[in-house]
This record gives sequence, structure tokens and C-alpha cells, in this order.
Amino acid sequence: MNEREYYVPSATYWPIIGSIGVTTLFVGFANQMHGASWGASIMALGFSILVFMMFGWFGQVVNESTSGMYNTQVDRSFRWGMSWFIFSEVMFFAVFFGVLFYARQLSVPWLGGSGNNHFTPDLWNGFSSTWQQIAFSTPGLILQSGTVISVPRQLVDAWGLPALNTALLLLSGVTLTFAHHTLRNGDRNKIIGWLVATIVLGVLFLGFQITEYGHAYHDGLKLTSGIYGSTFYMLTGFHGFHVTVGVIMLTVILYRVQKGHFSADSHFGFEGVAWYWHFVDVVWLGLFIFVYWL
Amino acid sequence: MTQIIIIIIIIAILIALSIGLLGMLKGGKAGSNKMFKSLVIRVALSLSLFIIVMFSAYMDWIEPNVIMMDAFSFQ
Repeated sequence: MNEREYYVPSATYWPIIGSIGVTTLFVGFANQMHGASWGASIMALGFSILVFMMFGWFGQVVNESTSGMYNTQVDRSFRWGMSWFIFSEVMFFAVFFGVLFYARQLSVPWLGGSGNNHFTPDLWNGFSSTWQQIAFSTPGLILQSGTVISVPRQLVDAWGLPALNTALLLLSGVTLTFAHHTLRNGDRNKIIGWLVATIVLGVLFLGFQITEYGHAYHDGLKLTSGIYGSTFYMLTGFHGFHVTVGVIMLTVILYRVQKGHFSADSHFGFEGVAWYWHFVDVVWLGLFIFVYWL
Repeated sequence: MTQIIIIIIIIAILIALSIGLLGMLKGGKAGSNKMFKSLVIRVALSLSLFIIVMFSAYMDWIEPNVIMMDAFSFQ
């Protein structure tokens, strides 16, 4: 395509289908949360619409790319688009890390009576502020207030599952870097192996997270378990969602590599997904250190 | 001291990741090289940080945010 021409895509219906899919998914989710028996079915329908949209929309863009419709000008617009998307993601997680900082360092100590004259230690009789998680050997221990706050040891023990999951994600960063290196050297067969390893490590991470969420909920740590429970699940849950999105993106890239779509000099699709995965990796490292250690 | 080292490495990781993003935004051969090199540094720093945190915990230089106990009285 001529460098002085700009490819303008024709009108497309995929964004509308995507919006319908997301709306359906969340209507189903909200009703599932409120105990509606049909909530899960509506969620499944919304998810199916989303998958359909992804296949259609990704396919359309890939076809346009492989048929030579894109020039360097379009490439630049893709890079800017990805960068703004990444900026929104950085701001998204910055808010949650900010919430963690505010709740832990400021609001909870204030409620305990420290550092602010507006609050007193007698706000609630016997209340003492603490952020540290308390892991009981007795699951489901009932406190005098009637609140269950015990948590499974394996979830909160920083030496256990969190460390294992951190190692898995960091390892996936290494395998992805090897995939990137081999792609830049044009060694297609090796890329596939490294990409598959990255995807498997991501899925393993998600599997451990889901299993431990099940244990945590069963043993009493819930979204409603005070500010700690809310912050913990919002941070780790949204991170898990991003790992899921990353695994889907890596799977699409794997498919494209098998189809021979990327060259050693031109592989923006791979670069965008690779950076996203490195970002998700760093977010987890931050979570691991600030939630469990510092 | 250990905490300061950990924070410094985290900042270095964020800088490496940001330089990688700028490389991706720039594109071309130079941008691609810049992105790849900074991401390699990012991975190396992250692995180092993980090892430092685990070793520091093993040496009791840092304490986890978890209290293990068998019983608890609220009042």
C-alpha cells in the first residue's frame, strides 16, 4: 500500500456485538449475585457472544493485515492505540494500589484513633486497628461479634501459594522473552514451544488462584470481610481477569505464529501482547510484595 | 534497609517497563531493539527481586503481613 494513502476501514458491526455481549454478561452476573436462577445462563450467553465477537473482529483485522492493507501510518496508529489502552490499564491498577495504601496506611489507623483528632479509640468499644491478616488453625472460627474472619493458611501464608504463583508468572516472563528473542531471529519452530510454555504457566497460575479462592470463600474470607477482604479480592481478582485476557491474547498470537503471520522485522501484534503480559507480571509482583510482605 | 532496596528495585522495574513501552510506541528496528532490551532487563530485575524478597524472609530481615495463631480474642 502506498505510504501516502491511509487505509480507512469500512463500517463494522463488531463493536455493537461486543457491547451487547458485555451487557448480557454483566446483567447475568448481577442477577446471579442476587440469586436469580437464570443468571448463569444469561452469563453463558453473554460470554458466547463475546467469544463470537473476538473471533469475528480479530479475524477481520488479521485478514486486513495479511492482505497488505496496512502501511506504516496504520502501524503507527495501532501503536498509539495500544499505548493509550496500556495507559488506561496502568491508571486502573494505580487506583487499586492507591486504595490499598489509603486503607492500610491512613483510614484504618484513623479509625483506630491514631493521627487524626476526628476519630477516637472509643468509636467502637474494643476496636483496635490492624491490617495484618490473621490465619487461624481452626477454620470458620466464630468471633464474639458473630463475624467469621478466619482465612485458610495456605492462601495467606506468603511462603505458600502466593510465592509459587509469583514464581510461575515470573517464569512465564522468561519463556515469553525467549519467544520474543526467537521471533526476532526468525526461528519459528522454537517460538511455538516458548509461547505454549508461557500459556501453560498462565493457565497454571489461574488454576491455583481459582482453587484457593474456593478455599478462601469456604473458610470465611469473602468480598464482604471488611476492607481487607474487599481490597484483597478486588486487586487479586482484577489481576486474575487480566491474566485471563493475556492468556486469550497469547493463544491468538500462537495461532498467528503457526499461520506464519509475523516476520523478524514486523510483528507489532506480538509486541503489543508481549508488553501486556510483562505488565500483568509486574502488577502481580507488586501485589505479592505489598499485600504479603511490605 | 532491605525494604529500601526492594522499593528501589521495584522503581527500576517500572522504569525498564516504561522504556519498553516507549520502544513499542516508536516502532521500527530501533524501537524494537529498545523494547526487547528493556524487557530483558525487566525480567532479570523481577527475578532478582523475588529472590531477594524470599532470601530476606528466610533470614528474618522482613516479616510477612500475616499473623499465624491458634486462637484469637476480639475484646
